[in-house]
This record gives sequence, C-alpha cells and structure tokens, in this order.
Amino acid sequence: MTTADTAASRGLAVCHTCCKLVPAAEHECPRCGSAVHLRTTNSLQRTLSLLITASILFIPANVYPIMITEALGTEDISTIIGGVVLLIKLGSIPVALVIFIASVIVPLAKLAAMYYLVWSVSNLPHRGHRPRTKLYLAAEFIGKWSMIDVFVVAILVALVHLGGLIVIQPGIAAYSFAGVVLITMVAAENFDPRLMWDQLDKNNDSET
Amino acid sequence: MTNLIACHGCDLLVDVADLQHGERAYCPRCGHFLTRYRHDMMNRVLAFSIAAIILMLVSLSYPFLSFASSGLESVMTLRAAPGALWDYGMHALALMVAAFILLIPAFILLLLVAISVPMLMGVPAPWLSASTRLLFELETWAMVEVFIIGVIVSLVKIAAMATVVLGISFWAYAAFTICFTLAMTTLDRYQCWEMIEALENAQSPEAAR
Repeated sequence: MTTADTAASRGLAVCHTCCKLVPAAEHECPRCGSAVHLRTTNSLQRTLSLLITASILFIPANVYPIMITEALGTEDISTIIGGVVLLIKLGSIPVALVIFIASVIVPLAKLAAMYYLVWSVSNLPHRGHRPRTKLYLAAEFIGKWSMIDVFVVAILVALVHLGGLIVIQPGIAAYSFAGVVLITMVAAENFDPRLMWDQLDKNNDSET
Repeated sequence: MTNLIACHGCDLLVDVADLQHGERAYCPRCGHFLTRYRHDMMNRVLAFSIAAIILMLVSLSYPFLSFASSGLESVMTLRAAPGALWDYGMHALALMVAAFILLIPAFILLLLVAISVPMLMGVPAPWLSASTRLLFELETWAMVEVFIIGVIVSLVKIAAMATVVLGISFWAYAAFTICFTLAMTTLDRYQCWEMIEALENAQSPEAAR
C-alpha cells in the first residue's frame, strides 16, 4: 500500500476557517487571516485536560440540585436524575426519555468517547480509523444537545416567578452542568482527528 | 482544472472540481462530508436569513409563554427573559441564555446578510473575509434548536403545576429556528470562501496569485 496523498505529505496545511491549502511554513492564512497549523497545537494535551475538568464538574452536576422550587413555604429540591423521575411520575415517558438521554447518556457517552479517542491515537495505530472518525464526528455533533436541561431551568426560572407564592431557582448543578457541556464542546474542538490517520500514514511509510 | 480540498477528518487531498449543482462530496477515505456545490447558494442563504430575521423580530415583539396559577398570571417574553434572570441575581444563566439563543444567532444573521448581499452583487466589500471568518467561528455557539426542545420539555414540566399558554412568539421562534438552521447548513464553508477569493481576485488581478 502506498502512502495516501494527504495535504501534510505535500507540505501543505489546511486552514480550519476557510479550507485554503497553505504551505506548512506559513502561520497565517493568506485568504482569511486565521492562524494556520499543520495539526492543532498540543491537541491531545488540551483535549485531555479539558476532559478531566469536565469529568470533575460532572460530579457536582449530578450530586447537587439543579432546580429549587419554593411554593407556598415548602421547598422542593430536584437533581438531574430527580427531574427524570418526576417526569416519569407525571406520565411523560417520551419527555423523560429526552431529558435522560440529553442530560445523562449524552454527556457520559461523549466523555467516554473522547477519552477513548485520545487514548486510541497512540495505542491503536493500525485499525479502526474510519469508525473512530465517525465516532468523533458524532461526539462533536451531539455535544450541544445536552444544554436542554440548562435551558429548561432558565425558562422555568424566568417564567415561574409569582411574587412570594411560587419561585423557582437554579441550583449549583445548573452551573456545573452547563460547565460540563461547554467544556466538552471545547474539548471536541481541540481534538484533531487527523492525528489518528497520521499514525496510519506513518506506518505505511515505514513498510514501503 | 483541479480544485483540491483537504479532508478535515483525515487530511486526504480530494479533487472537487467536477461537482454539479446540488452534488455533495465526501472523503473517500474516512467518509467525512467535504463540500456541496450549488450555483445559487448565496441566493438561498440570503432568503433564509431574511426570513429568519423577520421571524426573530416577530418573536421578540409578542409574549412567548404565559402561565397562570391560583389566580396569578405571569407572562414571559423573549426580550425580557434574560433581563429578568439578571434581576433575580442569576447572572451566569442570564448571560448564557442571552448569548446562545438571542445575541449570537442575531449577530450571525446580520453577518450572513452583510456577506451575501455584496457577494450576490459581485462587489468585493472590504468586510467580506473578516465577517465570514467571524461567522464560522460563532457557528458552534448558536443553540436555537436546542432551546426550542428545552421549551417543549419545560411545558410538560409545568403543565402539572399550572395552565400554560403558548404565545405567537413561540411559534415565530420555532419557525425562526428552522430558517436559521437552513441558512447555516446551506452556507457551505469551502464554496463560500472560493467565491470570496474569486471576487477579490477579479477586482485586483495584479494581487492574484
């Protein structure tokens, strides 16, 4: 198998903002003025540190209340999981499922997928590049959908504010959870999937 | 004639010169979407953007949701919601809501109009490349479609507590979400920049490389 005809093999770097092919020695794109790098600088280190930050924030996001409802002197505290249970009790199984997927499954799956991808760059150089690229694209795409729960809290807080009767307040988890979502979004942006393919190209080089 | 594009997923060079109107190109090695060519792309982008701007103005002018419980009523408008959150002392929440669902999308729409009008007229306006660059950098941070799902979930949650009525603004925002998403997906990054470069080179042939 011959080496793939990549931009890097011809000494070209691609601008992430405008797709222009620029000689790898240049640092600024002549077309749009963005910074150009052959590969995202320190991609794995940046991604990993953001992933660890997000993983730590994930704990308060699930332990502390996301929403506090004060109605007529009584206080009702609900966590993310508590919100899902409440929706099931109200009989809204589809909506409970949406929240469960968006707030529990997606962040966990995204964190796991990103850890796996970072690990795989140096540990799986020979196979599975195509499915792993697909996994990365999926993880990048679904990330922002986890913001649903944060928006739900914001809407309820803004809407339900009837004098001293009923007041809804956001809990610590609302902020930590927003942090988890935003930080994993940045982590996904910092991961460079081309690093996986570089390993493959390097191996083919050494075989020929 | 060749038109090379490097795949953002695996760095493979692919020639996309022969794309016909409406055709998409995918990377043969990793399957990543590369580009889609449409000869009337900017017309579509401008049409969706104008529709989205009108719908956004409508959704800012009318009540979004109203809520009634034990004789008391409260009305939420999109315009006032971030300010209300700010007044209740929830500054971070107010800023996130304002940025992700109103300010960033509105700014993106203005940028879309600012670039599509000169591109359709064939004028290489001096702000073209700076605006386009900003537009693509902001793209990830518009969360209008996520917000609309959030609204539906909140409706289910408070339906047990009180009577909730959807205002005109909600429907306008839902339609705005569709137009906004269509405008952003129609604008193809690669084709857009190729057009800008062609415009700028046509204006100053001596600068063409």
